[in-house]
Amino acid sequence: MHTGFEWWLFAVAVGASAVGGALGMAGGIFVVPILTIFGHVDIRLAIGASLVSAIACSCGSAAAFLRGHLTNIRLAIVLEIATTLGAVSGVLLGGAIPARALFALFAVVLLLSAQQMLVRRGEPSGVATTADAGRWGTLLRLDADRVQRVPLGMTLMYGAGLISSLLGIGSGVLKIPAMDGALRLPIKVSSATSNFMIGVTCAASASAAFMRGTVVTAIAGPVALGSVVGALLGARLLVIASNGTLRVVFIVVLLALAAQMVAYACGILS
Amino acid sequence: MRHPQLERVLAAVLQYGTWLATVVIAAGLAMTRTRIATAGIALLILLPVLRVALMLIVFVRQRDYRLGAVAALVLLLIGLGFTLGVVA
Repeated sequence: MHTGFEWWLFAVAVGASAVGGALGMAGGIFVVPILTIFGHVDIRLAIGASLVSAIACSCGSAAAFLRGHLTNIRLAIVLEIATTLGAVSGVLLGGAIPARALFALFAVVLLLSAQQMLVRRGEPSGVATTADAGRWGTLLRLDADRVQRVPLGMTLMYGAGLISSLLGIGSGVLKIPAMDGALRLPIKVSSATSNFMIGVTCAASASAAFMRGTVVTAIAGPVALGSVVGALLGARLLVIASNGTLRVVFIVVLLALAAQMVAYACGILS
Repeated sequence: MRHPQLERVLAAVLQYGTWLATVVIAAGLAMTRTRIATAGIALLILLPVLRVALMLIVFVRQRDYRLGAVAALVLLLIGLGFTLGVVA
């Protein structure tokens, strides 16, 4: 692998992670399509690299959320049963799914993300704005009225783990409805807790990918480094750029990548 | 129920662990020593596993066996993913 290509991988990861991070999204959703479309990297190797960078971003940013007491670690570990089970299912399915189906699935996820960006995310109704220990205690003892929503939350989390494993992304697309809609957590808590869980979810599939040989150091190394640097820049970008502008850029890029992925899925491009 | 002390430990482990792995990967790539960079990647993948293991230990020590069992199950599932990577 020549050095020019490694620098290109690094630059792509920096950009993806910076723009994604500024909007509270992981960069994986950009990394995999860009590597496959413009870098002609095999989609399975791109997914392997993206899984590693998702772990780096999750672990790297977890400290700030933990110190801000935003992460609900008890809830996270309970939901991680569902996400890792989803990831393991993805590992089982992964080898059997043809690359073209992966492209199609990716296009769907890109379109859903664009749609979520259009509809601004508000605080879910009926949520306690301050940390309500009693409420969470109830939730984790899994009794009273909460018991009906936790299975729904767990089911959505299973789906999130599965998609994460198949496509190498953090799959906030499914976690956000699970956290906001089903479990009704305040936005900051749900973002911090979801970010915390990504590392563990991706570790289950990344360790399988590592053993299968789809985590190629020459690709995954520069991508992981770029993601860490990009995440640091993203926090600054958040301060400089207006949220509206970023949102428009984000949606346009998501739609353009989705179109390309559809072309691959249909065999128009290869 | 919150775990301020555990949260502090996890924050430190994840933060310094990420930095260590990043430095190892960067050094490996800069020196074109693929094996070193690969070790850095392996370290990165192990970080969340270490995080769950730490949570397991703390929950069991606090006699919070329900959450301890949950953490053990998550560890088992990650192990299953790893095993599937080797055999399937």
